[in-house]
Amino acid sequence: MDTTRFKSKGFYIPGIITLIIFAGLVTLPLFGSLYNVILITTLLMYANLTVSWVLFSGLTGYMSLATAAFFGVGIYASALFLPITGAELPILVVVLIGGLASSIIAFGAGALTLRLRGIYFTIFTFGLVVLIMELLNWWELSVNKILNRYIMLVDNNYIFYVMLGLFVLVMLTFFFIRRSKFGLAMRSIGENEEAASHMGINVTMVKIVTFAISAFFMGATGAIWATKLSYINPHEAFKVLISFLPVLMAIFGGMGHIYGPVIGAVIFAYLQETLQTKFSEIYMLSFGVVLVLAILYMPHGLVGLIQKVWRRISGGKRVHT
Amino acid sequence: MKKRLLIILIGICVVAMMAAPLIMTGCGEEKETTAPTTQPTTTVPEGKPADYYTKEYILIGASRPLSGANAPIGDAAYGPVMKMWEEKVNADGGIFVADYDRKLPIKFIIYDDATDIGTMVRLTEKLILEDEVDLLFSACGTAFISAQAPIANKYSKLLITAEGGATTMRESLPGLPYVFVSLPFSDHYQLPVFADMCAAKGAKTAYIISIADLHGVEYGGVANMEFGRVGIDVIANKSVPITYTDFSLLVKEAKAADPDVFCVFAYPPIVLPVTGEMMAIGFNPPAVIMGPGANFGFYGLSFGGDPLVVEGVTCFAAANSKTSPEFAEAFAALEELVGWANLDWWGAPYYLPLVEIIEQAIVATGTLDNDVLRDYIATHHFDTILGDTYFEMFGEGGGLMVKETHPGEIGQWQNGIVEIVGGGDWPAVVLTSEWVYPKPDWPAP
Amino acid sequence: MPESIVNILDIAIGGLLLGGIYALIAMGMSLQYGVARVLNFSHGEFIMVGAFSTLTLYTVVGINPLICLVIIGPVIFLIGFLLHRTLFHQLSLRAPNADAYAASSILASFGLLFIIQNLALLGWGADYQAYTYLNFGVSIGGAIFSANKLVILGFSIGIGLIFYIFLARTRTGKGIRAAAQDPATASLMGVNINRVLALCFGFGAAMAGIAGVLYSMRIPLNPAMGTQYTIIAIIVIVLGGLGSIPGAFIGGLILGIIGEVVTSIDPSLSMAAYYFIFMLLLLVRPKGIFGK
Repeated sequence: MDTTRFKSKGFYIPGIITLIIFAGLVTLPLFGSLYNVILITTLLMYANLTVSWVLFSGLTGYMSLATAAFFGVGIYASALFLPITGAELPILVVVLIGGLASSIIAFGAGALTLRLRGIYFTIFTFGLVVLIMELLNWWELSVNKILNRYIMLVDNNYIFYVMLGLFVLVMLTFFFIRRSKFGLAMRSIGENEEAASHMGINVTMVKIVTFAISAFFMGATGAIWATKLSYINPHEAFKVLISFLPVLMAIFGGMGHIYGPVIGAVIFAYLQETLQTKFSEIYMLSFGVVLVLAILYMPHGLVGLIQKVWRRISGGKRVHT
Repeated sequence: MKKRLLIILIGICVVAMMAAPLIMTGCGEEKETTAPTTQPTTTVPEGKPADYYTKEYILIGASRPLSGANAPIGDAAYGPVMKMWEEKVNADGGIFVADYDRKLPIKFIIYDDATDIGTMVRLTEKLILEDEVDLLFSACGTAFISAQAPIANKYSKLLITAEGGATTMRESLPGLPYVFVSLPFSDHYQLPVFADMCAAKGAKTAYIISIADLHGVEYGGVANMEFGRVGIDVIANKSVPITYTDFSLLVKEAKAADPDVFCVFAYPPIVLPVTGEMMAIGFNPPAVIMGPGANFGFYGLSFGGDPLVVEGVTCFAAANSKTSPEFAEAFAALEELVGWANLDWWGAPYYLPLVEIIEQAIVATGTLDNDVLRDYIATHHFDTILGDTYFEMFGEGGGLMVKETHPGEIGQWQNGIVEIVGGGDWPAVVLTSEWVYPKPDWPAP
Repeated sequence: MPESIVNILDIAIGGLLLGGIYALIAMGMSLQYGVARVLNFSHGEFIMVGAFSTLTLYTVVGINPLICLVIIGPVIFLIGFLLHRTLFHQLSLRAPNADAYAASSILASFGLLFIIQNLALLGWGADYQAYTYLNFGVSIGGAIFSANKLVILGFSIGIGLIFYIFLARTRTGKGIRAAAQDPATASLMGVNINRVLALCFGFGAAMAGIAGVLYSMRIPLNPAMGTQYTIIAIIVIVLGGLGSIPGAFIGGLILGIIGEVVTSIDPSLSMAAYYFIFMLLLLVRPKGIFGK
C-alpha cells in the first residue's frame, strides 16, 4: 500500500537501518550473552510465525488458526528425524522436511476449504490443529507405542542462525509478494473476492499457493524450534495458544506496514517474557488486559498508532508555521 | 518526507526492542557490581570462590506451573516442600558453606511456566544463564522433567527431579550424569508389589483404563506384564484421550466384565468422575486402584466432604503420619501450610528427603559447585526422613533413588486416611495397616 | 433382559444423556454467535465460573446446587450483558465490516479467557476441588444411569424449550429473531438493536453459567478446565448450524450418541472422531445439519 509511493526517495534509509539491525543480529553471538541469543531466538520464532501468518491471512483477509498445526508438524518432523540417539538426517534437511510437510498439508487443506469463507474457514483451521493432534496421538499410541520423543540437543548459536536465516527468508518473501502482482492479486481477494475473480485473477490458485508458502515457514520454524525443546509429545507439539499468538501479535504490531508484524511479535513476546518472570501471579491477567486493550484501541496496531501520532505532530506543525 | 521519517522512527523502535534485553542485562550486571563497593575490598583468600565476601545467599531457581493444567499438582506436591524448607533453613540462619566460612540463607527464584514445555525450557535456561542460580530445582510433571533433564545436564547443573518418573526416563539416565530421579514409578516398584498383593488374595481378572499419554501407556503396559507374571488375566486395557470428559459407558463396560481388580491409571480429572460413576451405578470390584489422584487428600473430600465414602480404594502411597515420628511431624507441618486436601502420600515422602539430601551434600562438601555436589550425591548415602537414602547410579550417568529406600508402594483409604498396605520385601518398608480385600461396599447414597 | 439389549440401551440413553450435557454447553455459545456474532472462545470460562460459584455456595454456605441456578444464572447474565455493552459494543463500532468484527471479537474473547482464568486462579486457587450431588443410580429398562445426568438432561430440555417459547412468543424474543436475521432492518423497525445484542450475549453467558452449575455435580473443578468445553461447544454448534439454538440442541444429542458409540468401539478414538466429524461437516455442509 504505502511502500510503493515513496520507494524512490525513502528506500535508502530503511534499507540502511535494516542492514544495521541485520549486522547486529548476525554478530549477536559474539557480543551478546548466551541467554540473549536464546531470548532473541524466541523473539525471532514468534516473528517468523507472525509474518508467515500475515503473509496469508493479513493479505487475503482469511483468518487462519492453523498456525499451531503447521508449527506442530514441523516440531514432529524433528522429533522423528532428529532423535536424541543421533540425527538420521542433517538438521537443515529436517527443517526443510518440516516446512515441506506443512506446506503439503496446507495445500491439501487449502484445496478442501475452497468453499469456506469467513468464520467457517477460521473454525476449520482451528479444527485442523486438534484433529492432527488427536490422530497423531492415536498413531503414536496404537502403532508406535511411543508417547514421548527425545530430540537431540543443538548448539544455541546454531539454532539462532537457522532461525535468523528463516526470518530473513520469510521477510524477503513477504516483501516481494507484497510488491509483486501476486501480492496485488491477494490484496484484491482480501478486498473483494468476487471482483478479483472477475478481473481474471485465479483466486483459488493464489490462495492455495500462499497458504502453502506461509505453512512452509511455520513448519520450518517449528522444526528448528523443536531442537530447543529436547522432549516432545503430541499434546505439547500442538498447542492451541500458538494459533492465536501470531494473530494477536500481528494486530498488536499493525498489518498495514511490512515492519508491523515484526514489531508486534518482538514486543509482544518480550512483554510475555517480562510478565512471566516478573509478575508470575498476574501474568495471564495482565496479558489478557493488554490483549483486549490492544484490540480495542489499536485497530491498526502499534505502527498505526505511531503513524497517527506522527500525523498529528506534523499536522500540528503545518498549522503553526 | 513524512513517510521516510516514519520509517526511521519504526527502525529506531526495532533497534530499541532488539537492544532492550542487552541493556536490561547490562543494568542487571551493574547492580551486581555496585554491591561489592560497600564490602571490604580485600583480596579473596586462596582457594575460595571469587564472590567470597559478596555472596549473600544461596540462589535456587525453579520453573513451576503456577498456572495452567499442572498448577493443581505443583501446588500440592513439591511446591510446599520447597516453601517449608526455605522457612526452616532461613529461620536457622542458613546453610553452613565451608567455602564461604559462614551460613548462607537460601533464596528462591520461581517462574511460572504456565504448563508449557517451550516456556519451561526457556525459563530453565534463563535461570541457569542469566540469573546464574547456584542450584536448579525440578519442574513439575513427567513430560516437563523429561525435557528439563537434558537441558540441566547440558549446562552441568545438578537436577534432582520431583514430580514425575517413567521407565523411559530410566532408559535415558545413562546419558544424563547430572540428573537424579526420586519418585517411584510403575515398575519401580509399585506395580510388581501390587500384582503380588492381588495374586496373594486370589484375584483372577483385571480391567484397566488408562489415559492416552506417556503415563497411562506406561502404567497400562507394565500392569499388563506384572499381572501376566502372577497369572492374573487382563480382560481389557482401554485407553482414553486426555480431553475426554464422560466415563459412564467405560465404567459400565468394566462393571459388565466383572473383574476382580479395576485399575484407573489417569489424572484427577478422570479419576474423580470415574469414582463418582462407580458409586452411582454400584460398581464395586474387590480391588480398585487409581492414580495419580487417589493419593491426595482432596480425593477423599471430593464426594460430599467425608473421606469415609472412599473407604477401601487403593492408591499409590509411600508413607503417612504413622510411618514414623518424623513423618508425623512433616505431614503436620505440610497440613498447616497447604491444608489436608493437598496432602500427598505418594509424592511428599520423596520430595521431603530431596531438600535434605541437597542440604547435607552442601554441608559435607562445603561448596555450591554442582560438579562436586553431583559426585558427592552419586557416591554417598544420606540419612533422611526415609532413613538410609541413596541413588543407584547408571554407569557414568545419572541416578535413580533405589527401591530399597521406599517405605511403601501401595496405600488404601481406611477410616478416612490413606494407610500404607503394601511394599517390597526390604527392611525400610513400614506397613501401617493390612490391605482390605475385597473392599467394602460404597456407602448408600 | 438379555445383556445385548441393555448394552444398546446403555449406548442410546447414555448417548442422549451425554448429549444433554453437550447441548447445554453449546446452546449459549450458539446464541452468542447467532445473534451477537461473537464466537466466544471464553465460553468455557463462564462454565468454569458457574461451576466454582456453585461449589462455593454449596460447600461454604450450604445452598442446594439446584437453587444456585437462580442465583448464579442472573449474576452471570449481568456480567455477560455488561461485557457486551462495553467491550463488544465498542468493538463493533470500530470494525469496518462484519468479517472484521467476527475476527476482532474472537480475539477479544480470547483475551477474556486469560483474564477470567487468572481471576479464578487468584480467587479459588489452583487445586482440584469437587463435591458430588444426586450421585446415585436410576434404572431405565435394566440399564442404570446416575441421577445427576438425568437432571442435567431435564434442565437442558427445559432451558431449550423455555428459550424457544421466549423467542417465539415474547416481544423481546421477536426482536432477537429479527436482529438475528437482519440487524439493519430490525433496527429500522424500532428494535433497540444494541440492547438486543447485549441481552443475547448475556443469555448466552448465563446458559454457560447454568451449564457450569449443573455439570459441577459430576466433575472435579480447576481454573484451567474451561477450554475443553469451549472446543466441545464449537463442535456442537457447527454440527447443528452456526447460530441455530434448536440446531445446537439436536447437534449436542447427536454428538453425545456418536461419542458413546465410538467409546464402545475404541475410546482412544473418541475425541478424534469428534474432530473428524466436525471437519467433515464443515467441508460438505458448512451450514450444519439443520442450517438453511
